[in-house]
This record gives sequence, C-alpha cells and structure tokens, in this order.
Amino acid sequence: MRHDFYLAWQYLRHYRWRSLTLLVCVSLIGILPLLLNEVLTQGERLMLQRAKTTPWLIGARGSTADTTLAALYFRDTAPPVAYGEINRVEQSGWATALPIHARYRIHQIPLLGITADYFDFRHLVPALGDLPGFIGDCVLGARAARRLGLGVGDKLVSTPDNFFDLAGLVPLKLHITGVLAATDTVDDEAVYVDLKTVWIMEGLGHGHDSATTRAAPTGSAFTTPETDPASAGAADAVEITPDNLDAFHFHGDMERYPVTAIIVAPHDDRAATLLGGRYVDENLPVRLIQPVEVIRHLMHNIFRISTLFNLVLAGASGAALLALMLVFALSLQLRQGELDTIELLGCDHLTVVRLVMAEILLILLLAAGLGSIFLAYIRHESGILAPVLLDAL
Amino acid sequence: MNPEFSLRYCSMHFESTPAPPITPMLRTVFTLLLVLSNLTTVAADNLQPRLTVVASHYPLAYFAGRIAADHADVHLPMPGGIDPANWRPGSSGIRMLQRADLLLLNGAGYETWLAQTSLSRARQVDTSSGFSDRLIRIEQAITHSHGGSGQHTHTGTAHTTWLDFSQARQQAHAVAAALGRKRPELKSRFEEHLQALDSDLARLDQNLEALSLQYQTLPLMASHPVYQYLARRYRLDLVSVHWEPDEMPPGSEWDALARTLKQHPARLMIWESQPRPEITRRLTQLGVASVVFDPCANRPDQGDFLSVMQRNLQNLKQARESISAVLQK
Amino acid sequence: MVEVKQLIFQYPDSTYQLGIDYFCIKPGEKLALIGASGSGKTTLLKLIAGILSPEAGMVTVAGTSPESLDAAERRNFRISRIGFIFQELQLLDYLTVLDNILHPYRINRSLQLDRAVRGRAMELARQTGLADKLGQKPGRLSQGEKQRVAVCRALLPMPRLVIADEATSHLDPASKLRILDLLFLAVERFSASLLVVTHDHELLPYFDRVVDLSELTSRHET
Repeated sequence: MRHDFYLAWQYLRHYRWRSLTLLVCVSLIGILPLLLNEVLTQGERLMLQRAKTTPWLIGARGSTADTTLAALYFRDTAPPVAYGEINRVEQSGWATALPIHARYRIHQIPLLGITADYFDFRHLVPALGDLPGFIGDCVLGARAARRLGLGVGDKLVSTPDNFFDLAGLVPLKLHITGVLAATDTVDDEAVYVDLKTVWIMEGLGHGHDSATTRAAPTGSAFTTPETDPASAGAADAVEITPDNLDAFHFHGDMERYPVTAIIVAPHDDRAATLLGGRYVDENLPVRLIQPVEVIRHLMHNIFRISTLFNLVLAGASGAALLALMLVFALSLQLRQGELDTIELLGCDHLTVVRLVMAEILLILLLAAGLGSIFLAYIRHESGILAPVLLDAL
Repeated sequence: MNPEFSLRYCSMHFESTPAPPITPMLRTVFTLLLVLSNLTTVAADNLQPRLTVVASHYPLAYFAGRIAADHADVHLPMPGGIDPANWRPGSSGIRMLQRADLLLLNGAGYETWLAQTSLSRARQVDTSSGFSDRLIRIEQAITHSHGGSGQHTHTGTAHTTWLDFSQARQQAHAVAAALGRKRPELKSRFEEHLQALDSDLARLDQNLEALSLQYQTLPLMASHPVYQYLARRYRLDLVSVHWEPDEMPPGSEWDALARTLKQHPARLMIWESQPRPEITRRLTQLGVASVVFDPCANRPDQGDFLSVMQRNLQNLKQARESISAVLQK
Repeated sequence: MVEVKQLIFQYPDSTYQLGIDYFCIKPGEKLALIGASGSGKTTLLKLIAGILSPEAGMVTVAGTSPESLDAAERRNFRISRIGFIFQELQLLDYLTVLDNILHPYRINRSLQLDRAVRGRAMELARQTGLADKLGQKPGRLSQGEKQRVAVCRALLPMPRLVIADEATSHLDPASKLRILDLLFLAVERFSASLLVVTHDHELLPYFDRVVDLSELTSRHET
C-alpha cells in the first residue's frame, strides 16, 4: 500500500500542472457548496450576534430592514429620525440611548456620526492615539485605517464628491486622533466622528470667522451652504482648529437635527416592556425596531434563495464530477502502455487498479486538505463574511 | 480580613444565638457560607476601583467629594484662579473629561464647551435638569456680528444656579443619585453622606432666608450678572453692571451707575471678590458700600464651599448692620 | 535451465501457429536467438516467461512449468526468476532512474524492498555508469542510458534466466558491447542463463550458442 501511494505521488508530482488542475477542480466541486453554506451560517451568526447586541433601534417609519442595515452594518440609507427622540428614551430612565448617523461615506468608507458612548457600547478602544475629543476629530476603524493608508496625526478631507450624497455638504478637514483596535466586526471598517461634526458637514452648525466659512461662499453663513461639489476640494475644506473651535455653534432646535437611528439598550426586562409600550402607537413618526427579528427575517429569505442556489450548485457539481471521471478515464487510456508494462513486469490487475485508486485517493485527500485549509481560513477570518453577505444584500 | 478570625467570630455568633437544634455538620456548612458571603462582600468592595468623577465647577466637586467620600477621586479639570464658566478644555482637559466615570455638569448653559467636544452622553449628569423649568432666561444677553449678514443675537440662561441654596440642594441630590447609579452597592452610604450635606445646605438656605428679611426694602447693585438665582430665591432687589473687581470702570460706566442709582437708590454693591480700594472709595463717595459674595465657582484658596458661603452670609450681615448704622446717623 | 517440448501456440484471431519440437538452454549458457521478423521470437520469449500460455506442449524454467502455476504464482515466479528486458524498454517517465530500477519491488508483494535491495540497485547503477543519473527521469537520458536502466531493472531481482528482446538495437557498436558485457557479467555472477533475441550478427560470436528460430519451428498456417 505504501508503494502504491509512493508511485501515485510520483506520478502526480511528475505531471504537476495536470494534477494541480485536477486538485483545484475537485477542491472547488467539494468546497463550493460548503463555502456557500459556511458564508451563510457564519454570516448569519455574525449578523445575529451583532443584532443581538443591539436590543432595539428607534427608526423612522418605513423599511425596518433599511434602518437596521444602516445602523448596524452601515449599509443602505434610511430616512432620518429627530435627535430629540433620544431624550424621550433617556428621560424615561429605562434605557440607554445612542444616536447614530450613518448616511455618508468618505472614500467609500462609512462615516459614522456617534457620541462617545458608542465606543463603550461596542467595546471599541483605540489601539493607537485617542478617541475624538473635539468636533472635527475622527478615529478610524482598524480596516478603514488600512484601506485609507492613514494614521494618527493625518488629516482626512471630506470633500463632497467623496460622499454618498452630493448635495449641500460642507467639506471638512478631519483630524485623525486615533485608530481603533480590530474587533473583526463591521466596526473595523468605518470612520467615526462626533455626531456634531456630521451636523457641521450638513451645514447645521458652523463657525463665524472667514476661515471656517470658506466652504460656504454664497449668501449668509446662517443658511445651509450651497457648495459646488465639482470645485470643492481639499483646499476649500474647512478645518476646525483650536483657534476657531470656540466659534463653532449650532442654530435652531438641536432636538430636530437628523440621525439615522437611535440604539436603545433597556436596563432590564421590565424597562423594556414599559418602553416598548410607548412605541405601540402607529401614528408616531418613529417606531421601535428589534434588529434580531429583522435580521432573522432577512436571513430566512436568504436561506430560501440559497436552497435554490444549492440545487443549481449540486447540478453543476454533478456535471463537473462526470467531467472529472471522463478526464480520469481518458488519462487511463493514455496510460494503457504504462499499465501494460507494469503488468508485464509482474503486477496483477488488482495492483493496477490499486495504483489508480491510490492516485484518485491522493487527489481527493489533497483536495480535501486544500479545501479544509481554505475553509479554516474563512472560519478564522469570519469577520470578512458578514461584509461579503451584506454586500450581497 | 483574616478568614480564621472571621470563622471564629461567625461560629461564636452562631452559638450565642438561641438557635433551633441543628446538626454540627449543617452548622459548619452555614458557618462556611456566612464566611464566604462575608469574604465576597469585602472582596467586592475592595475590587471595585474608585470612581473617577470630574465636575465642571467647584460646588459640584465639593458636593461629590462630600457624598462619595473615599469612594471616588473627584477632579476639577481647570486650574485654580479662573472662572470655570470661561474655561475651555484643551487636549489634556478633554482626556480628563473622557476618562471620567461620571461627568458632573451644572447645565443651564454653563458648559458652553459641550457643543465643541465629543464626550459620552451617558456619563454626563446635568445636575440642574430637575429644575430646568425654573431656569432664568437672559434675553439679548450676547450680541455679536459676523460677515455681511449683520448682527446676530444669542439668548442665554443664567447659570449660577447654586447660589439659590434650595437649588444647590437639588443639585447635590442629583449628584448622589448619579453616584448611586454608578455604585448601587454604596447607595445607602452615599445617602447618609448626602443627608449631612443637605442639612448643611438647608441651614445656609434658612440663614440666608432669615437674613434676606433685613434686605427686603433695600435696593442693591451687583458688580456682575451672576446673582440672578440668589436674588430670586431671597427676594433681593438687584440690578447688575458688568464690572470687574480688579479693573477701574471707565467714566461712562460711572455715569451710567449714577443714572441707575437715581432710579434704583442702592446703598450696597455685591462683588464676586474684593474690588480695588479706589473702586471701593469712589463707590463710598456715591453712598454705595461694597460687600463680597463669592460664588465660589472655582476651588477657594482657603476653606471650602461651606465656609466660603458662611463667610458670604457673614459679609452680608455685617454690611446690613453698617448700612443700618449709617442710616441711623 | 529452460526446456521447451512439443510447443504449439496460436494467437486468437490469427492463422499463424508457432510450433517447436524441442528447445533448451543450459544453466549458465549465453544463447542468441535469431530469426526473420515475425518468425515468433518475441512470442517464444513470452511463452518462456509465462506471459503467454501454450496451447499444447510444455515449457519448464528452472524445473518449474509456469503452466502448472496459477496466475499469481506465475507472476511471482516470473518476476523473481526471470529478468525481462523489453524491446521497447518500458521505462516509466514519471519515475527517476533509481525508482525505475526498483519498480518491480514496488508492484509485486513477493519482492521485499529493503536496504540490501537498494544497495544492490546502487551497485548495479554504478556498474552500468548510471551512478550520477539516479535522480534523473528517463526523459533526460540517452537511449543507451535508458537501455542500461532497463537492464538494471531486469537484473535487480537476481533472476535465474535473463531474457533480452532486441536489447541492443538502436545502439552504437561500443554501447552494444558494453550492454552485452554487462549482461554477460551479470549472468556469470548469478549463475544465470541468458537468452538474447538479436538481429545483430556482429554480436553472435560472443555467445555460447546461436539458435535460428526457423530451424526450430514447424510454423505453419492452420
């Protein structure tokens, strides 16, 4: 048996490209359904895990999925709710409320407006530098820092053309005060600023000196600046510095300022029930969303689609397997002379079969090994699955 | 705690109690459980790190220090000698604020830097939120202009809330409640300490209330508009100017004062700190005496919040007596 | 060593029949078998090696008739007693020279591949001038080198009879002699007999005996 494998191994090594092609084919046939299953299972686990750590959301009436995807995974946009909703929750004393503004992207990376409590809530700590201290400061998620190639002390310009939404945004030169430690969640792939910084970008807050209003060349500084996205670049960007910091202020009722959603964490079950009761009224402009339910529903739909996909994949795998068998059969035909030789040398039919089987077994073993390594890598780097799945959504 | 001692103590305690008949085995188990629960309580107490409390002005720091006692490190982020109302956090200040387990705020617009900083909302305690409906709005307080868009007016809120000692008591209660939420296991201890502080503040309130009776018919001037709540609570007839104790006001200000005095014949001006002697002299010439009522917004050089307030009361009392003597003459 | 009596063999679907009344090889004898193309030389070699079975008559090798053995025994007998050097050499492209030499030991359980066998393989390689080619694959060898590898492979199990089917064709005269020397040396060392099919009349004087197959056979159409 040892010799059979030795000879098979030598054969595979000698025809390495052919063997490698076979190996990859077999691996793929085996791994694709597993990978799909893995992506879905892990993705579901990760998405549910995050949803479970986010007991409730307050979002605008409309699509609960949009609000959940926007507030939890920074995908999609959702109609805004008023910041003042946070007071309704906080004054009840039943829950902690965290606003999240997740409407924009900066260099294709989600830009999140949050309060410092978000870092506590998601257990985000700076690996380098500090959390944002002032308006105009930002901190980068681990993967965002890698993608941007920026670090502590660098500046990140939010020119309007970088944004998801082009209209009416003040370009701001953000100071990077820190880079967060990796958490292997979507939190790694965002840029975080104080909520007030996003409002300044939206023109709801502003400074008074000329330097701070450069981005708003038309009309009064008190109207929402109308910038020209095409010409607004880094040079026009407003920079908040210690010198002009005090000049920045906000007008109007801050409670009516927009946020994407408010994360609500009830202190206990009783508080949850009481608070839930307050949002039963369907005439309210907002509603209480349970992300777990939303994600379960989404995943249920995805799994239904995946069943169909699995069927197609099974068909394709079957066809590929038949093709592989054909390849083996042809290869045996090509090797007939060689097989005759070893028979002439004194080897029985069974040994020939054994040699061929050893080859097939080796290919299968190696393919299984290759597939396992790939799957293990996917499992280990499970953090990347949720974004993959989310992007697919 | 020495576990041996504790064990013996508990056993003795157990034996001395007229207990129902329990087997020695059960007794040992109970004893061990008692010791364990005792040990874990002690351990939990010791394991909990001291709270880091940062207050935005001295009175709140004083309240927190009295209530939390040994269970918290209370910090004031600003240096001594400056008015915390004018303080802005720099990079080190912001780190101190960010590291706080509890950030005690006066509210009422006192912390203007909140709009420019990025801080935890959950750790902030607005100590004046309990009486937010009774805050005094200052109409057209600050007016400024910029660009070509003309003048722009901000409305403001009077923020020296603690000079109404009934409000100071509410703020102290808010501090105690916040500390209790952070350390529920110490709540009763905080309550005890609060009672002592509250009775001190109540006494101040009563004393000032009593003293204010003597001021009922007396028009007063204030060197700075920081005594709105003091005036409202203790029914003082107070008009403010914007004078600094270490700066001789210009002639126009003296003229304005003279005009005000015709409408409002005040015989006493209340100062945040001792004014320069030439200011005092010139005021005396106008028949206006000077008295210091230190709001004590920052840490005093000597004494504490209570002693400063007692001295303020003493100052008012003496000033009233002097005025009475002058009037009698 | 080899004795063939009253042998009749016919391939299925063929009209030609090979018939030999008597043929023998003595122990230690070096015999050259000649004959016209298609006269049945290779068929006779395969009959002697037990690869083919006669329709009638008897073949004995070292006192054993392959016919009396079952298939497995016959294979074991062939691989251990008879060293066969094929006309087409039949080396395996994917094995190194050493592995090609050791190949019979890897495909037949009756042969044990141990240290002694490996030592012997190296020694054979050294003797045939292949010592520095052991790690190379046949694709990179000259025809003469390949032939030597086939010889080593046939000699490694120390056979009692070495059969070479046109083992020296396509070689230059020096190489032919070198191969022949090697074969002679080996059969002398193992006291084996040598049966060489050749068309090369220059080599015939080196053999103990030369047999023309046409003189042996009563080959005719049926």
